[in-house]
Amino acid sequence: MNKWEQIQGIYVHIPFCLQKCLYCDFASFAQKSDKTMAKYTDKICGEINQHISDMYINPQATIYFGGGTPSVLPIKYIEKIVAALKNKGLWQKPTEVTIEANPGTISAESLQAYRHMGFNRISFGIQSMQDSELKAMGRIHTAREALAAIEMARSAEFTHISVDLIYGYPGQTIKSVTNSLETIVKQGIKHLSVYGLVVEEDTPLQKKVETGELLLPGEDDSGDMYDFIEKYLIQQQYRRYEISNYALEGEESKHYLLYWQYLPYLGFGVSACSFNGKERKTNPYTIEGYLNEAEPLIEKLSPADTLAEYIFMGLRTSQGINLEIACKRFNVDIKKRYEQEIKECQSKGLLQVDAGETSFSLTEFGMKFGNQVFEKFL
Amino acid sequence: MSQEAIRNFSIIAHIDHGKSTLADRLIETTGTLSKREMEEQILDSLDLERERGITIKAQAVRLEYKAKDGSKYMLNLIDTPGHVDFTYEVSRALQACEGALLVIDATQGIEAQTLANVYLAMEHDLAIIPVINKVDLPSADPERVKHEIEEILGIDASEAILCSAKTGLGIDDVLEAIVQRIPAPTGDNAKPLQALVFDSKFDAYKGVVLYVRVINGNLRKGMRIKMMATEKVFEVTEVGCFIPKPVAIDVLEEGQVGFIAAGIKNVRDARVGDTVTNNDNPAAIPLPGYRKATPMVYCGLYPLDNSDYGDLRDALEKLQLNDASLVFEPETSVALGFGFRCGFLGLLHMDVMKERLEREYNLSLLTTAPNVIYEVFLTNGTVEMIDNPSLFPDPTVIDHVEEPFVNATIIVPKDYVGAVMELSQEKRGEYDNMTYLDETRVMIHYALPLSEIIYDYFDKLKSCSRGYASLDYELHGYRPSNLVKVDILLNGEPVDALSAIVHKERATYRGRQLVEKLRSLIPRQMFEIPVQAAIGNKVIARETVSAMRKDVLAKCYGGDISRKHKLLEKQKEGKKRMKQVGTVELPQEAFMAILKMDDSK
Repeated sequence: MNKWEQIQGIYVHIPFCLQKCLYCDFASFAQKSDKTMAKYTDKICGEINQHISDMYINPQATIYFGGGTPSVLPIKYIEKIVAALKNKGLWQKPTEVTIEANPGTISAESLQAYRHMGFNRISFGIQSMQDSELKAMGRIHTAREALAAIEMARSAEFTHISVDLIYGYPGQTIKSVTNSLETIVKQGIKHLSVYGLVVEEDTPLQKKVETGELLLPGEDDSGDMYDFIEKYLIQQQYRRYEISNYALEGEESKHYLLYWQYLPYLGFGVSACSFNGKERKTNPYTIEGYLNEAEPLIEKLSPADTLAEYIFMGLRTSQGINLEIACKRFNVDIKKRYEQEIKECQSKGLLQVDAGETSFSLTEFGMKFGNQVFEKFL
Repeated sequence: MSQEAIRNFSIIAHIDHGKSTLADRLIETTGTLSKREMEEQILDSLDLERERGITIKAQAVRLEYKAKDGSKYMLNLIDTPGHVDFTYEVSRALQACEGALLVIDATQGIEAQTLANVYLAMEHDLAIIPVINKVDLPSADPERVKHEIEEILGIDASEAILCSAKTGLGIDDVLEAIVQRIPAPTGDNAKPLQALVFDSKFDAYKGVVLYVRVINGNLRKGMRIKMMATEKVFEVTEVGCFIPKPVAIDVLEEGQVGFIAAGIKNVRDARVGDTVTNNDNPAAIPLPGYRKATPMVYCGLYPLDNSDYGDLRDALEKLQLNDASLVFEPETSVALGFGFRCGFLGLLHMDVMKERLEREYNLSLLTTAPNVIYEVFLTNGTVEMIDNPSLFPDPTVIDHVEEPFVNATIIVPKDYVGAVMELSQEKRGEYDNMTYLDETRVMIHYALPLSEIIYDYFDKLKSCSRGYASLDYELHGYRPSNLVKVDILLNGEPVDALSAIVHKERATYRGRQLVEKLRSLIPRQMFEIPVQAAIGNKVIARETVSAMRKDVLAKCYGGDISRKHKLLEKQKEGKKRMKQVGTVELPQEAFMAILKMDDSK
């Protein structure tokens, strides 16, 4: 059976956090009561139990608990959800089990508990190592707490630790970004996600930027940050395996990769998304909606949609699009169909085709201007 | 109905003085339409006319009015456009009338186009009824306006009617005055048919519909008619009038106004200004016709998507059926590909046409900056008419160049005379004369290059007079000017569609401004773009659009593919509004940059 015909990953969304960050537009809600969390846990277990899939589930399917902040959900509730997944046969022999955590919401005990349940990878949302910036972002932790969290995770024998960082936030400079990055790299972190800030609609940040209360770094400044990050991390032996993701050899996130390879996955919880290769199902965006079983959004994807998405997701990775796999999966001669587009992007230095003409991918230059390439394949 | 009971009239006014509102009120008061049927400004039938509050095409409406003397009258109202671009259409409408309502805003008084319209009405020997509108407004000053009517227009103002088209005040007086003061037509039913075509429009089902005023004889369904200028013969399939929706009737008799359809497929066979006669009993001579409208402003029209060229041609042809003043011919631009060089009556006309093409024909268009026609006298003794700056000949073969000048009439409160004169001087105007209209207002005449009017004269005039100045102009003729062509180079490559003809003394300054403006209009792209202005081989200004630093979605995971997909679609859609010129993507505004420069900077 082909890889794209089986579920390769399971996502669980925990929509709680202590405080909403200014830039955040995820489905995440601050300061919910234990009662709500308990109800939510029951509901998500219910959703898992009632799940009916006509798709084969790869026993090695990856597991990912994201949010929000999964680490604000009390251990007993996490345990319930894990038990439900195992019961249902969705958690069999996963190769990668990740939990996202906020450095301000963990303890040695909770980390022990995660390990015990089977989590083998932890992803810390750290964002910056400057306290002033963390404050401006609305983060609840300090730089020192971030370092302590990494230490604690190590003590709990998490071997796979990932850190998220942001650049381009108001107040950040090339100097402060350099410093944050160097500090994290020095900790021996093997996986880094470094995101250019996106000012999303209807976030408090958007308002502050609009009113002029916060001033975004200029295009050239954030361009310099981008250039520095890439150069520096590659110098430090990281491999840029996706536009915003860097890892030491073998440390790439398998769960992330399955999204970029456009493989099927299941999602449970508020706003979670499931994809079977032809159809995307998205759960309600609010806790109330989810608890009251509001209808999920079903999107039937046309063959043209899936092909376009396959390409723009695939091109995000350094390995790019494998022509043989793509042709087999979509029954289209990609090289022929997009001959013009590929040629044009090649001539502009955005795309490269490997020597054996078995795959094509973004060049280093192309990664900077990915959108210009992606839109050609829509 | 006997001719004695017919009154044919127009309403003339400066823009915004309330012409269309008065027309609406007359339609409503005579009961031609019930209140329920009244849409605001019913006569402006194009969507665009209603949105912009302007009248573009002439319209004819038949009103039935029972006068105070107890008799019934047939009033034919021929509405006219109020903008200077369409003076020509006003003149056509007036020729079909015996009288005109001269509407003047009681708060504003006489403006430049009031004058121009009055002169037109006098040329056609029309009875003029002054109507002072908006008297309900607190700032209305009817006495001052009356004074102006006598002093400036030389019309007896004692019988001017005070009215408010908005509230309905004085409307009965207007109707009575139409009956009493406008003469009835004096045609002869026994004579062979002579009917003046004062407008036409194209209907997909009926073919060309002619708006006619019957002077002598009558027009019936089934009659074989001849167009006297083209000598084409048609059979009348429909006769009708507008009340204000078109209604079929049996006959249009002498003195009456209405429309006919005769299966005419081509507007060129039945031109506006032609005389319709009975083919079996033709008139000996045609009625006096009109001068053909001459386009004053030219620009290039290009489809953003080159494959739409054919659609653009079809659309232009269709629009021309309704508007004979639109001219176009194919042209090719190195930068833009295939398109058309189009001539318009003025900037508003150009704007309206472009908007109609985009809206009614669903085209995405790019217009190059408008320009006038230059007469270029070559050293070999020949003269070239240049309607496209990129075709301006090499300076070495030019003896001299002439450009069109207009006689401009500016009416302005006396406090702003200095500012207006300074502006006009700066715009290469030649002072003609100045008269005091009364203690506070002044009329100034200047000869001005038409190119400066197109450029920004009107906007500047408005701002230097705090909106009080009004302007009217008419083409005067050609005068020699010291002109040069400024070319624009992007990435070192000349872009023909961006070339501009400017006065030599200002060339460097304009060139510098133009590249600055272009730099701010051209979005950053993946590479740096030098923007240069050059005269001949000499670069006179340079700016650089620096390279875009990055353009990539930072994040994309399982849950947000749909949203990111849409985002990319949107970005792609946005690019469709751009024109690829060589390796550079240009927004449409770039081609209008020359019009959008701020001199005061």
